[in-house]
Amino acid sequence: MLLNELVEKVRGTVVVDKPGAEVRYAYCGDLLSDVMGHCGDESVLITIQNHLNTIAVCTLAGVEAIVICHERPIPPDMKEAAEREDVAIVTTPMSQFEAAIALAELSPSAK
Amino acid sequence: MKFDLHIHSCLSPCASLEMGPSEIVRRAVEAGMDGIALTDHQSARNCPAMAECAKRAGIRCLFGMEVQTAEEVHTLALFDSVDHALQMTDWIYEAMPKRVNDPDTFGDQPVVTADDEIVELEWRILAMGCRRTIPETAEKVRSLGGLYVAAHVDRPNFSVISGLGAIPDGCFDAVELSRTADAGEWIPRTAGYAVVRSSDAHNLDDVARVWTEIPGDDFSVAALAAAFAERQTSISERLTCF
Repeated sequence: MLLNELVEKVRGTVVVDKPGAEVRYAYCGDLLSDVMGHCGDESVLITIQNHLNTIAVCTLAGVEAIVICHERPIPPDMKEAAEREDVAIVTTPMSQFEAAIALAELSPSAK
Repeated sequence: MKFDLHIHSCLSPCASLEMGPSEIVRRAVEAGMDGIALTDHQSARNCPAMAECAKRAGIRCLFGMEVQTAEEVHTLALFDSVDHALQMTDWIYEAMPKRVNDPDTFGDQPVVTADDEIVELEWRILAMGCRRTIPETAEKVRSLGGLYVAAHVDRPNFSVISGLGAIPDGCFDAVELSRTADAGEWIPRTAGYAVVRSSDAHNLDDVARVWTEIPGDDFSVAALAAAFAERQTSISERLTCF
């Protein structure tokens, strides 16, 4: 699924773009140790964890895009890190459950 | 007795490399602190250097770390002795991921001497949580004669309230407000615990910008425990600009 399709499905707002990014898998998680242990390459992470460390964990895990639920605000240091590390950030008014349903055609991410 | 209980050194991956123990001490003395605590993420490995710097400068110091628990809640473990802080570090390290830190992703983690020489780069990822839960950590801290404080409970990430919805009874000796927390708004949410305010400084400019005060001139686990039990802490005003 291309990033712009994903944005449309979650009625999202692009905070950090990654033109041409494509995801095949998805994972839901708010605890970063859990995300690091289970989320793999070519994934989108659906989370409420709007923190700088989310970018670091996603970089290690090979996550292409992050969907931040409930339109939580993106702190400036998180946005800067995402731009530097080339990870897309999309905010959505949806909950994690609603976002997961909207992206249900993706496969479960696993390591 | 005026003190700042939450200061990071250069060992914390998110802290500035200017945060050598000697500079932290210099800044704290300049700011009029009687006591400070060194609380790096998951590790007390810069506490030996801090002990030496504090001794040279004549400022009192507690030694410990900011434990990121299994619940991904930030908590402060504070001890009178470097030895106990290092024993606590060993116990946390046993429960850390074995993955090696990538300094380009999380940041550098230098262990330094009192003269700011780099001894070693810590290889563990100190930015990640460990497998120790809050109750387990509270029990371990008490067994080593320390104090256990819920860190920055007003923050929207990595705080006990953001993670668990409320502050559990009986786990902590005190709770900490961050430098910007509105005391009128947050003290009613602190479940009756004693309240401290600390800087959570990651760079020199922030050391001791906010503080806590207790009666008397003793800065030790026993003195703080007594003041906490009697709810005798007073805290500085919050910062409204940076």
